[in-house]
Amino acid sequence: MREHPQGEALLRCAQSLLQDTLIPALPAELRHDALMLKRAMAIAQRQLQYGDAPLHAQRAALSQLLQQDFATLDAAEAALATALRQGAADPGAPLRDALLRELRASGRQRLLESNPRALEPDTRA
Amino acid sequence: MQDHEQQALRRFLAQAAHAEQVSIARLQPLSGGAVQENWLLDLELVGGAHAGRLECVLRCDSASAGVAVSLSRAHEFALFQLAFGAGVTVPEPLWLCDDDTVLGRPFFIMRRVRGSAAGHVLVRDLRLGGDRVQLTRRLGSELARIHALRAPQASLPFLPWYEEAPALRSVRLHRAFLDRHGSAHPALEWGLRWLERHAPARATLTLCHRDFRTGNYMVDENGLTGVLDWEFAGWSDPLEDIGWFCARCWRFGQNALEAGGIGTRADFYSGYESVSGTRIDAQAVKYWEVMAHMTWAIIALQQAQRFVSGAENRLLLALTGHIVPELEWEILNLTEAD
Repeated sequence: MREHPQGEALLRCAQSLLQDTLIPALPAELRHDALMLKRAMAIAQRQLQYGDAPLHAQRAALSQLLQQDFATLDAAEAALATALRQGAADPGAPLRDALLRELRASGRQRLLESNPRALEPDTRA
Repeated sequence: MQDHEQQALRRFLAQAAHAEQVSIARLQPLSGGAVQENWLLDLELVGGAHAGRLECVLRCDSASAGVAVSLSRAHEFALFQLAFGAGVTVPEPLWLCDDDTVLGRPFFIMRRVRGSAAGHVLVRDLRLGGDRVQLTRRLGSELARIHALRAPQASLPFLPWYEEAPALRSVRLHRAFLDRHGSAHPALEWGLRWLERHAPARATLTLCHRDFRTGNYMVDENGLTGVLDWEFAGWSDPLEDIGWFCARCWRFGQNALEAGGIGTRADFYSGYESVSGTRIDAQAVKYWEVMAHMTWAIIALQQAQRFVSGAENRLLLALTGHIVPELEWEILNLTEAD
């Protein structure tokens, strides 16, 4: 067993302290560094929050799409990259729509972790 | 900077400026980019053409190796000289030192220009940059002045010349990078395939800045004071620079202002056309906006790699890797229809 509270909860709490107490007290020239710190902690916290389940789901989806049993997500993504370079998702190709859906799904998950604000509709002009 | 380095710097400057005496009144690091370091440098010179107080910036490589495709300081200095002579608003280049015994790495000195370059501040603080319509037009005209410079240029032998279509060359180089990179990036492969299928033919190549965007020019309260960051310059299709400037990823959140988050495309284009004398093909620029997101994603991967490899333990580099997903997302938005 791991001691509680664990990574995600610790990072959430540490971010609040940084945001509410430390950043307001910092001189202007250190503010940018502090915001980078907060961003790094937020990304790490969200990666812990989502865990490995989305990665397993992506590997399974790619195995089905490309009809190959991939041992790892890295192997599945490498095969997908090769297929895309060779035109597997060009207009008219049978897998185009399914591959695009898969790129959207994995892209959405990575944005949920790295920068969820980019998914908010009001950030589009 | 240590005492012996400052001494060596003063000796170099005395010789370069033909001064009898040089003292350093002020020397402090400026917030630099991920690739280079900039130092604020105020000098007091006795004798020579620059006698008196001289406000400068010293620019050198960051302590570890930079992005593979960026130019050396000596090459950047040559570009500053050419651009300055062509009437582009750049800080006046003063002296280059490529003798590593002075500071341990090459550097050059340029006259300091007033103002600020921070993109995220400029797009929100309307007190900066003067009238925004004027600024937007001015940036267009500056870019057209850069594009008026054609090959061959005797002072730029280091810029690679090539016979391919510039778009296909970029696709090839980006794929080569991804092949060397440890992990696959399927969304970038999707985008590269689109860029390959829609690539424009080779037209006349011009000098291109290749990082001409908000964040890389200085403004004061009256307007533009200098176009900076020439280390990615090369021969290319001039529309590459126009697409880079207008790409959504360089609007710093001000997405309705399609020219760099500071103005309208119409004003930027009209400023450009007033100097170039040719019309910008607005439809063709769209292609280069996709390329802009792609190129920035590749550069972001390169910067993240400097962290991941253990070469540089800097949070800025680490976080740059996390920009890639939003660039990929925008590439899908721009390319899914065809």
